[in-house]
Amino acid sequence: MTSAVAAHDELHAGSKPPPRGWRRLTAAGWLRVPWMTALFFGIGLGITLLVRWAEGWHPIWDGQVITTVELAAVPFGFLAGLGGFDYWAGYAIGSPTRPEDHSGHGAYSWRDYFRVNTDHKVIGVQYLVTTIFFFVAAGLLAMIMRAELARPGMQFVGNQVFNELFSVHAALMIFLFIIPAFAGLGNYVIPLMIGAPDMAFPRLNALSFWLLPVAGLMMLSSFFVPGFGCGWTGYAPLCSTHQELGAVFFNMGVQWAGASSIMTALNFLVTIITMRAPGMTFWRMPLLVWANFTTSLLVVIATPFIAGSQFMTMFDHIMHTNFFNYEAHGYVLGYQHIFWFYSHPAVYIMMLPGFGIASEVISTFARKPIFGYRLMALSLMAILVLGFSVWAHHMFVSGMAPWLRVPMMVTSVVIAVPTGIKVFSWLATLWEGKLNFSTPMLFALGFVSMFVIGGLSGIYLAAVPIDIDVSDTYFVVAHIHYVLFGGSLFTIFAGIYYWFPKMTGRMYNEKLGKLHFWLTFIGFNATFFPMHYLGIQGMPRRVSDYVPRFTDLNFFISIASFFLGASTLVFLYNMIVSWARGEPAPANPWRALTIEWQVSSPPPVFNFDEIPQVVGGPYEYGVPGARHAVFNGDRVVEEEEVRT
Amino acid sequence: MRRGVLVRVVAVGFAAAAVAFAVAFFIPWLPTPASKEADRIDFVFWFVTVICIAIFGLVVAVILYSVVRFRARPGDDSDGAPIHGHTGLEIAWTAVPAALVTAISVVSAVALAENDHLPKRHLQVNVTAQQFAWSFSYPKYNGLTVSSLHLPLNEAVELKMRSKDVIHSFWVPQFRQKQDVVPGITTRVVITPKRVGTYPVVCTELCGEGHALMRAEAVVMRPQAFAAWAKAQVQAAAKASQGAAGGGPGLAAFNSNGCSGCHTFKPAGSKATTGPDLDNLKMDAARAGKPLAAFVRESIVDPNAYIEKGYQPNIMPSTFKSLPKQQLDALVQFLTAGQK
Repeated sequence: MTSAVAAHDELHAGSKPPPRGWRRLTAAGWLRVPWMTALFFGIGLGITLLVRWAEGWHPIWDGQVITTVELAAVPFGFLAGLGGFDYWAGYAIGSPTRPEDHSGHGAYSWRDYFRVNTDHKVIGVQYLVTTIFFFVAAGLLAMIMRAELARPGMQFVGNQVFNELFSVHAALMIFLFIIPAFAGLGNYVIPLMIGAPDMAFPRLNALSFWLLPVAGLMMLSSFFVPGFGCGWTGYAPLCSTHQELGAVFFNMGVQWAGASSIMTALNFLVTIITMRAPGMTFWRMPLLVWANFTTSLLVVIATPFIAGSQFMTMFDHIMHTNFFNYEAHGYVLGYQHIFWFYSHPAVYIMMLPGFGIASEVISTFARKPIFGYRLMALSLMAILVLGFSVWAHHMFVSGMAPWLRVPMMVTSVVIAVPTGIKVFSWLATLWEGKLNFSTPMLFALGFVSMFVIGGLSGIYLAAVPIDIDVSDTYFVVAHIHYVLFGGSLFTIFAGIYYWFPKMTGRMYNEKLGKLHFWLTFIGFNATFFPMHYLGIQGMPRRVSDYVPRFTDLNFFISIASFFLGASTLVFLYNMIVSWARGEPAPANPWRALTIEWQVSSPPPVFNFDEIPQVVGGPYEYGVPGARHAVFNGDRVVEEEEVRT
Repeated sequence: MRRGVLVRVVAVGFAAAAVAFAVAFFIPWLPTPASKEADRIDFVFWFVTVICIAIFGLVVAVILYSVVRFRARPGDDSDGAPIHGHTGLEIAWTAVPAALVTAISVVSAVALAENDHLPKRHLQVNVTAQQFAWSFSYPKYNGLTVSSLHLPLNEAVELKMRSKDVIHSFWVPQFRQKQDVVPGITTRVVITPKRVGTYPVVCTELCGEGHALMRAEAVVMRPQAFAAWAKAQVQAAAKASQGAAGGGPGLAAFNSNGCSGCHTFKPAGSKATTGPDLDNLKMDAARAGKPLAAFVRESIVDPNAYIEKGYQPNIMPSTFKSLPKQQLDALVQFLTAGQK
C-alpha cells in the first residue's frame, strides 16, 4: 500500500504543479466553474438569439426556447469548468497527454471527493452520498404528500403543487436514487471483486458521476418555474402540449441522468469483459458481477428509448412538432409504447443489482454456497431477454391494439419463473446454513420476503382482467413500492451496511443498524400494505383529494409514513457518526471469500499491490481447503508452510 | 429426522397460509360487484389469490423455519453444509411455477374474451371526457346528453369514448371495467349492469390540475325506470330547445356542456359539489364586486378571473370561451334568471 501511495505521489508531483495566483481561475476546479458556466450560458443565449433573428422568428426573445437551450448548454459549462473534459480537450488541441496520467486518481483529503476524480472507489462514494441526498429530498416530498392526504380536501398545497410533488418524488427516486445508487455500489465493488485496479475508462467514469447532480438539480428546480405536474411517466399530450415549462426540466433532466447511466453501463461492460483477474472465468464471477453485467446490457439497450421519448415530447412542446399531437394526426399511444419499452426494462435495471447484492449477503451470512449458482446466473439472463417483451402490460387499458394484450400477459407471467428460481434458490441457501443476523442479512431477508409480496401482486397486475380493474389505482402504488422499496431499497441498505466497513475503514453501529431495519420494516408494511385495499376499493392514484369514505385509512397511512420517514434518521445518524468515529474495521469483518475482502479496509489507492489469481468459485463456504482467489504472497507463505 | 423437519415446515407453512387466508377472506377486499363482467374478473382475482397464498405460505414457512432452526449459536464460526444445488429441486421450482402461470394465463384470457364480447342487442352510449368533466350521450335517444351515466339493468352497454384534450380513464370500481379515453382515437368498453344502484365514475389517468376532482356518477335503473327517465329527459331537452318552457335553450346548454356534472343548480336539478353552488351566484357576484350578468359571463369564459373561497383555480375547463355566442347568451340568461 505504501509503495502505491509513493508511486502515486510521484505521478502527482510529476504531472502538474498546483496552480498559483490567477492561474487558479483557469485550472480545473470550483473556481473555474462559475465563469465557465456563465460563458456557456452566454454561448447558448447568443446562438439562440442569432438563429431566431436570422430566421425572422418573433419574438426574438422567447423565454421558453432560451430556457430549453440553456438546460443543454449550462451543464456543459459546469462540467467543463470542473474539468470533466480536460484530458480529451487537451488531446483534441494537441497538447501533450499521457495515457497513464493518474493525477486525478485517489482521495487524500475530503477535498478530493469534490473534484473530478478518476478513482472508482472515490466515484463510488461520490455516487452513494449524492444519491442518498436525493433520496432524502425525494422522501421529504413524499412526507408533504402524505401530510396533504391525511385529510380529504386541500390543506397544505394546491392541486398543481401536489401533482408536482409526486412527479418529482418519483423522478428523483428512480433516476437520482435507485438506478445511480446501484451504479455507485457497483462502481466501488465490481473492480475489487473481479481483481481489477480500476474501471476500464476512469475519466468517463468521473464524467458520468458529475452528470448526476446536474440532472437532480434540474428536476428539483422544476418547482421554481411553472411546474412539472404530469407524472414521472410524462404521458403525452398532458406532458407535451398541455404542460408548463417545468416539464422541460424533466425532459432534459432525464437526458443527463440517462447519459450518465449509459456511460456507466458501457464502463461496467468493458470492465467486466476485459479486466477480470487471471482465472476469473464467467462461471467464477460473484453473482453481483453477473447482475451488473446483465443490468448494464439492459441500460445500454433500453435507455436510448426514454431519451428519444423525452426529446419527442419536448419537441412537441417547444418546437411545435407533431409526434404525439393528435390534432395533427400524431400518434398519442406511440409515446407510451416507446416510454415503456425503456421503463419496463428499467424495473429490472432497478432490481437485478439488488438480486446480486442479496446473493452476496445471503451466502456470506448463511455461511453456505449459493444454491444453484449457474441457474441463478442464467435466470438473470432470462429476465434480461424476457424483460424486453413485456412493456405493453403497462398499457392494458390504454386503448392499444386489443390483440397485443394476451401475448404481453403471457410473457409477463413467464418472468415469474426465473424470478421464482432466484427466490427459491435464496431460500435453499438458508437451509442448513449457520445464519448470522447482522444488519445486512436482516435487510436481505427483509428484501426476500417483501419482494415476494411485490412479485405476487405483480401476478395480479399481469393478469389482464384484474389489471383492467386495478391499474392506475392505489393498488399499483402499493405494488411498485413493494418492488422498489421492499425490493430495491432494502437491498441498497443491505449493500451499504455490508460494504460500509470496506468503504470507510470503520464499522457501523450494529445496534442502530438493527433498530433501523426493524423501524423500516414495520413502517414500510404499515404504510404500503393498506394501499392495496384503497386501490381495489376505488381510490385512483395521483390524486390530491379523495372521497370522505377513505379518510380513516389514509390518515393511518400518513401516520405510518411519518414513522417510516423518521426511521431514515437512524440510518443517517449511524452512517455519519460511524464514518467519523466508528471502530476501525478489519480487512474482512464478515469472513467473506470474494476478492474485495482480501484487501485492506479501505483498499489501497490502486486496489491491489499484486494481481490476484482466481482459483475457484466465489462462495465455497464449508468446502474444506477451497479458495476463491490467492495472492502471490499467499503462495509463498503456503510453500514455506509446506517446507517447515 | 427428515420427516420430522418436513412436518414442521409444512405446519409453519399452513399457519402462514392460514393468516394470509384470513387477511384475504375476512377483509371485504372487493366492492360489491354490479356488472356481469365484474363477476368474471372476481373469479380470476380469487383464482390468483389462492395460488398466491400457497406460494406465500411456502416462502414464509422456509424463512421462519430457517431463521429459528439454522441460527448460528453465539461463538459458532463454522460454515454451513456445502450444498451447491439439487437438480431435481431446481427442475421442480422451474416447472411448477411455469404450470401455475400458464393456468393463470388461460383463465385470464378466457375471462377477457368473455368480457369483450358484445351481444347484438345492446345500448350504445357515447362518452366524452375533457378537463375535468364527463358527459354521456345516447344516440338511441335523440342524442340526449347528460352528465351522469344512466344505464338499464341487465342490458349490455357499449361505451364509445372520446377525449377532447388529454388522456383520461373511465372507471367504475363496482363494474371493475376500466378504459383510457384517448384524444384522437375512439376507445370502447362493454358493461352489463346487474345491480340497481348509484356508483362512482372515477378518472384514473392523471389529466391535469383537477384530476382528483374529475368524478361523476353511474346510475343503474330497472329497464322501465330507465325508459321513463330517458323519455322525460328527451322531452325536456326538446322543450328546452324550442324555448317553450322551463329553462329553455339555457337548460339544454347547461346539461349538454357538462355544467351539471360539477355544479349544484336547483333550476337544472343538479346536485354535484365539485364546483361552487350556482344557486348563490348573486352573493358571489357581490363579493367579486361585479354586476350579476357580467360576473356570470366572465366566470364561464374565464373561470380563473374570480375564484370562490374554498375552491381552486384551473379546475374548471377553460374551453367554454369557444362556445357559440347564442349558447353562451342562453346560458347566462338561464343562470341569472334562476337567482332569487
